Amino acid sequence: MTIEAATPLLTTWATDTAQPEPGRLDAVVPRENLLAAVQSLIDARWGYLAAITGLDQGVEAGMFEVLYHFCSEAVVVTLRVPVPRDDARVPSVYAIIPSVSFYERELMEMFGIEVEGTPNSDRLFLPDDWPAGVYPLRKDFEMKDAGADHAS
Amino acid sequence: MQVPIMPAKGEKFIIPIGPQHPALKEPGHFEFSVDGEVVTGASLRLGYVHRGIEKGTEGRNWVQTLYLLERICGICSHVHATAYCLGVERLAGVEAPPRAQAIRSLVAELERIHSHLLWLGVAAHEAGFDMLFMHSWRDREIVMNLLEGLTGNRVNYSANVLGGVKCDIDARQTDAILAGLEHLEDRTRHYLTVVTSDVMFLRRTRGIGVMTKDVAEKLGVVGPTARASGVARDVRLNAPYAAYDRYPVELITATAGDLEARFIVRVQELFETYRVIRAILADLPEGELTVRMPRRIKEGETISRVEAPRGELFYFIKSNGSDTAERVKVRTPTLPNMASVLTLAVGHQLADMPMILAGIDPCFSCNDRMIVVRDPAGRGAHWTWDDLREYGIEYYR
Amino acid sequence: MSAVFALVIFPGGVFILLAGMLYEWVDRKLVARFQNRVGPRWFQPLADTVKLLAKEEVVPDGVNAQLFVVLPVIALAGALTAVLYVPVFGLAPSFSFSGDLIVTIYMLSLLTLCMGLAGANTLNRFSLLGATRTLTQLFSYEAPFLLALLGPAIVAGSWRISTIADYAAGHWLILTQPIGFAVALIGLMGKLELPPFDAPEAETEIVAGALTEYSGRGLALFHLGKGVELVVGLTLVAAFYLGGVTNPLWFAVKTLALLVGLAGVQTLLTRLRIDQTVGLWWRYGALLVLVQFLALILWEGVIA
Repeated sequence: MTIEAATPLLTTWATDTAQPEPGRLDAVVPRENLLAAVQSLIDARWGYLAAITGLDQGVEAGMFEVLYHFCSEAVVVTLRVPVPRDDARVPSVYAIIPSVSFYERELMEMFGIEVEGTPNSDRLFLPDDWPAGVYPLRKDFEMKDAGADHAS
Repeated sequence: MQVPIMPAKGEKFIIPIGPQHPALKEPGHFEFSVDGEVVTGASLRLGYVHRGIEKGTEGRNWVQTLYLLERICGICSHVHATAYCLGVERLAGVEAPPRAQAIRSLVAELERIHSHLLWLGVAAHEAGFDMLFMHSWRDREIVMNLLEGLTGNRVNYSANVLGGVKCDIDARQTDAILAGLEHLEDRTRHYLTVVTSDVMFLRRTRGIGVMTKDVAEKLGVVGPTARASGVARDVRLNAPYAAYDRYPVELITATAGDLEARFIVRVQELFETYRVIRAILADLPEGELTVRMPRRIKEGETISRVEAPRGELFYFIKSNGSDTAERVKVRTPTLPNMASVLTLAVGHQLADMPMILAGIDPCFSCNDRMIVVRDPAGRGAHWTWDDLREYGIEYYR
Repeated sequence: MSAVFALVIFPGGVFILLAGMLYEWVDRKLVARFQNRVGPRWFQPLADTVKLLAKEEVVPDGVNAQLFVVLPVIALAGALTAVLYVPVFGLAPSFSFSGDLIVTIYMLSLLTLCMGLAGANTLNRFSLLGATRTLTQLFSYEAPFLLALLGPAIVAGSWRISTIADYAAGHWLILTQPIGFAVALIGLMGKLELPPFDAPEAETEIVAGALTEYSGRGLALFHLGKGVELVVGLTLVAAFYLGGVTNPLWFAVKTLALLVGLAGVQTLLTRLRIDQTVGLWWRYGALLVLVQFLALILWEGVIA
């Protein structure tokens, strides 16, 4: 599958597309369009969801970005979903891709981005007694936030 | 098709496997709810060997990060370093010399032999076939010695540096590797016979844990697990990196999708690996081993994918133009494959669980990249032996 | 006085315990060598036992403590009692009465039964599952094993072990009852939970099965019991099928030859799932031995 095949699938839903490198297509998708964009890729059997990356743009920028990487042979299509820090939530794609549960659990505990509608929001990697509301991969995370119990 | 989420707690009989369990060589926690001997539900909890590596990359410079990432996994350390180096080199706009790329591929393939033989032994042990376990691990020593001769280390080879590789290969090492391969190929032929014809062993593998091509594609499984279900997915082929365009790999697939197919695919991949190594050694480009790398990497993002022994390894690297990485995201092959374990578990015998788990060749260290040292007394980072002892005594009081 | 000696020192008691350890060592060493490992040193089983006996026995919460402590003792006692009726070391049995074959076989099963109870006694899930498997396996091999040992009894016309052994000393019954020999030997492997019949204690699934919660003294006693059972079982099979064990030399040669066979089978085969074990025994083992048994009865009936 090629970038040419993926572009028409996403034009309806993406606000912006770019090709940062050969073999890569980045599409900025608002979060209300995320499910539709994923659905159109899956319906066309375009690749598979390889990973979900969370990106923290920093406190000043006030934004997160959630990247959904779809791979097909040499091509990687990335759906970039901008998420404001003060309203950090994305819809779950579990209904479309059932194996996504682990990625969404990781995203939730590491960035504190709520994944709405995911059936399992238990912690995957962090310890059971990790304090609530402390998200280690955010840029403003400091070791002391993890509590005396965890600051090493 | 559903990935089971949690067994309904309360009325079910739940068998916990892990965090410490003889079937697991690394810690992970599974809960299987069973009805008699038949599994009805499964759930997974990871993180027991989480070391905070992704966060750790944010405080280190590009070179330090390389050595940190290489220690994500002891079995497939080289592929982590390769994925990272290739990504950072692409961001910096430099390309490692052809000889370095060939040596990267060479070490990666030797590592694949090491990993697959290790897996063969572990999987056989899960089935209670200790003969195969002991013999395949004995043969694994050969390739580990070769790697030690080449790089100086049996594991965590550190063959990669940013912009190239640190070790060269001379005629003596070439001969040693060729001689080692000769013996290994002979043994591998024997193992292929064993896994395809041992009647008792086939009773534990044939028709167990069947994953159809459709399910495999939908779950997004990678590597030999996917190829055993007939999914043509191999990064070395689909998106050649390092020197794989120069020494092409042939795709090995099977269609059955059961445990036997996973055995066959991995063992046959070994033959392919031997062939590729011979091709590399026969036609090794001359030239430099490294190119100069800038200390600061210019701003940008890149995605780097390599084929680890367990499947596609996915790196997302973002640079902000400084000498440290803004974000390094690692998605290891075990995570997508793990979903298949939970899916396949339901309806199988409890006795098949270790085999189905071993069938994907799970690597928990790869999955878990963060751990936090607990310090109830707030004593800081350095624990003396006495502290530790006292803590242990207090904990169990 | 001689009865006490027989019970405590020779051939029962101390001597048989040491013999059990020796046979366990031979088994472990052979398997290790077959698997290209070095294997344990000759005193390893003894060292294991001493170490376990010196250790604290942890009684877990939620068990019936008396039962927990007493089960290993009963198990070992059962195995040791069985020794008195079989011709161990090529000597005549210490005690003998008509029908002691049945008693011996059930004394041997007592160990398995105790292990099942020990597993069911604890709250540990691995133990419970192990207990279920142990008892399931018991029910699958017990009947064929019994029938396999009754074959020689039929032809000897007695249920007394010494009489059967005397008869078998002049007849290599392995030639006339090959099925019975195979079933008895394989049944012995099932009894001892040796691979491929080690599903009840499959470490990669249920840790140590029924004995998961046992430590220290209890575990040591169970292990000793198994060692004794190994010797008794091998003695029975050798005495009944391999032309008898009429002197210590023949005893050593024949039982060790059987042990080499057992070690080979253990090395070569993959562990069977518990449902496969049951299927194997009832579908093939029981059926074959039953056919042979019926043939024997008819044969004896026609002759007599």
